[in-house]
Amino acid sequence: MLATLVAIALVVQDQAPLRAAPQDSAPRQATLWQGEWLEVRGEKQGFIQVYDHRRERPGYVREHQVRIYRLDEASVPKLQAVVEFLKDTPGAEALGIGYAAALLRAAPASQVGPELFDALGTLADRLARRATSNRTNDVALAAHLDVAASYGVKLVSFEREGRTRVCYDGEAFRRVLALGGSPEARLRAALSLTRPECIDPALNPVARLALDEWRGSVLEQVDGGRLPAYLTNRLHLRRAEVYAALSFQLARRGEAQRGVKASERAVEELARVLKAELAEEDKSAYAMAAVRVGASRHASEPVPEKPGSGPVLELAQGQPGETCLRLVDAKDPKAPLSERCTYGLVWPGSVRRSAQGSAVAVAVQMLEGWTELWVFHQEGGAWVLDALAPAATEPVLGYVELAGFSPDGSRVLVAREALVEGKVKSSFQVLKRETLLPEKSAESPDALGSFQRWSSSDWRGRTVAVR
Amino acid sequence: MNEQKQNEEKQGEPKQDERKRGEVLARMVSLAGEAARGMVSRVRWLIYAERGRRVMTGLAVTGVVAGVVVAQPVCMIEPGEVGIRVNRLTGTVSELHEGWSLLVPQVHRLSRYSLKDQTYAPTRSARATDPAPFQSVEGLSIGVEVNIRYVLDPERIQTLAARLPENVGRDIIEPVIDGVLRRHFAQHTVREIFSTQRVQIQKDISAELAPLLAADGVLVRSVTLGNVDLPQQYRTGMEALLAEELNAEKMRYTLDLKDKQVKQSALEAEADKVRREKAAEAAGNEEVIAAKAKAEAMRHVLPFKEKEIEQRRLEAEAAKVSRLTLATAEAEAHRIEAAGEADARRKLAESDAYRVEVTGKAASEQLARDAELITRNPLLIQKTLADKLSDKIQVIIAPPQAGGFIAGNLLGQPQGATPAKALASSEPSIQEE
Repeated sequence: MLATLVAIALVVQDQAPLRAAPQDSAPRQATLWQGEWLEVRGEKQGFIQVYDHRRERPGYVREHQVRIYRLDEASVPKLQAVVEFLKDTPGAEALGIGYAAALLRAAPASQVGPELFDALGTLADRLARRATSNRTNDVALAAHLDVAASYGVKLVSFEREGRTRVCYDGEAFRRVLALGGSPEARLRAALSLTRPECIDPALNPVARLALDEWRGSVLEQVDGGRLPAYLTNRLHLRRAEVYAALSFQLARRGEAQRGVKASERAVEELARVLKAELAEEDKSAYAMAAVRVGASRHASEPVPEKPGSGPVLELAQGQPGETCLRLVDAKDPKAPLSERCTYGLVWPGSVRRSAQGSAVAVAVQMLEGWTELWVFHQEGGAWVLDALAPAATEPVLGYVELAGFSPDGSRVLVAREALVEGKVKSSFQVLKRETLLPEKSAESPDALGSFQRWSSSDWRGRTVAVR
Repeated sequence: MNEQKQNEEKQGEPKQDERKRGEVLARMVSLAGEAARGMVSRVRWLIYAERGRRVMTGLAVTGVVAGVVVAQPVCMIEPGEVGIRVNRLTGTVSELHEGWSLLVPQVHRLSRYSLKDQTYAPTRSARATDPAPFQSVEGLSIGVEVNIRYVLDPERIQTLAARLPENVGRDIIEPVIDGVLRRHFAQHTVREIFSTQRVQIQKDISAELAPLLAADGVLVRSVTLGNVDLPQQYRTGMEALLAEELNAEKMRYTLDLKDKQVKQSALEAEADKVRREKAAEAAGNEEVIAAKAKAEAMRHVLPFKEKEIEQRRLEAEAAKVSRLTLATAEAEAHRIEAAGEADARRKLAESDAYRVEVTGKAASEQLARDAELITRNPLLIQKTLADKLSDKIQVIIAPPQAGGFIAGNLLGQPQGATPAKALASSEPSIQEE
């Protein structure tokens, strides 16, 4: 009977042999993997006679190693049930993708909704994660990736932080967003499409800005009000990250107003995260988002009024993309006390001066997630400039900000947060002004009495380091 | 037929008519006589009676007034008009402007000329089917709506008034214009009149009319050609032809447009290229700036790393020094301990030797005393032996057997062995038991 039907067989077991004849002793033509799609030609002695279009080879496969479906409307409920089941089954991604593809072929256009694409995207995303994780005993992985690729599921890979990362290109998730879908599905799609670790590190700044703007628009398509609080938190965290990045890029391009708005939005999104509802697995994402926001929050800081006397920091344009800082005495503005040019972004709103006028600090954002504190201070009568980096690691993610000066101006309080060996480390330090070397250091500002006493209210009101 | 009958009837009654006519004539003569008599009496009454004279005066006054009204010795020149008054007696001509002027009846003759713009539109030639259509060079009748605006030259009216007719427009201007129009239209084809030479014809007509009419003191203001009415068949063909031409023209313009579009595309592509080049340059610059910023950040981190390495080195050195010190101290301590122990051991050995010596002396003295005692009391040996065997053994000291040990039987000692020998071999024997 099967010979008269146009039916397909989906391979459900890994390493199923495709035999030349309907006998177990017959030579093995090919090894089939779960999720592969065969055309059914007949049935013989407990074997299904099939044709493998991928390998262009006919053969026989054991009946229990495949499932046979007709590609018409009658098969849709069965296929749907299996897709629904496989959606959350680890290790069965290729099979799930095969089933989803069969469902796409069998279902009429009116029945193809966002749920199917959500399932397809989830499976592809999990397969990409499986390929990224460095489990060595996953022998079927390469074959499963091949199966997924044969269905048009595109996985891209690039090198990031010394290891290869595989990411799903998000085609199915784009369709979910276009077709509607439940709030959870839309959130899943938006989060997958905007994953920061899946951004090609080789993108140039222009393409990166365009991508970040697109990421922002994708995240705006999700309505956070109809989601459970812990999922809303994820949305806010991702938005905070994206807007923080946008604020730096826009400011770098000279679109200051939009940069300010993006920065304000980033701080606002971070503030909307409910800490009590934060899921365990989101804690590191929260810390990373906070560091990103902390690095670019100076963009929205208002420029303070210039003090009447003492050293004043003036900013001037240097080479293209370069900002020159000149520290001048208000009484004699022609002779600079100290001068330095930088390719980083100097935030004029972050300029702070100690009460005695013996130190002037300004935040300089070098990279999208890396902000340094530049301190002009007097050393033996001369003004010198020292740059405080967030951490002694490769500049990737971190910031250091001024928390205040001691009343006598001899100590500088700084808060540092940086990504060190995959973890966000915070430290609150009291530095000597002359050497800028830490005198006291703690992981929390409460642990340092002097920090509590001397930190400025301005810093306490704005910082994201204390959260 | 009816007329003939009527004539016959008329010829049949002549005599009756003549009689009637004589009666009427007689009556009329009598009436005329009466009227003449009445008239004479009225005139006499008018002349001789007081009332009659008053009536006569009234009639005279009325007559004068009526004469003035009829003759109109005062005339009104309207605004926009000029009047030319000619004295018939003297032949003098005077120009009257707007307002009232005096005209002596039968002496003065007044001609009015309008100074306003006037138009002439030949209504008989407006359509091809009208009575006097224009002719084209092909001999086709066409109707053209022409409108010519003209005005009389106010400066020359006075001089020309004498020879200009009353109606200048109808008598002079319109025939001249008609002639010129017909000549011009007859020199052009219908198509030229209809579409291509329209403006030229208009200009030519205007150019010809202006000097021609200027001689008569008429200034031509404008010549306008309106609708051209063609014979229906010709019109259809003409329109088709024009449509063809239009298509050709359209094609030409389309080609022009395409050409321009091509040029525009080329320019846009050029601009786009420049823009992309600029964008690429800007992107390159941004990339360079970002890379420079990263390098700068790295440069700032390096001293910290160096400091960190230095600190680690210093820490290692400090650790080394402290460990060395510790080890030295420990070794010293060990040495001191060892020396102390050696001293202690020496002291101990010395004390041991001393003790051994003293003990030896004491023992040898004791032995000497024991030997003396045993020599004096030989049975003490046995007693001592028995005491050592067990505290439960009661010992009776009896004189020893000759040449044997008191417990010799117990110990399986061969007879005749010396007590000392028996004592030496007693332990294994007991153990065997």
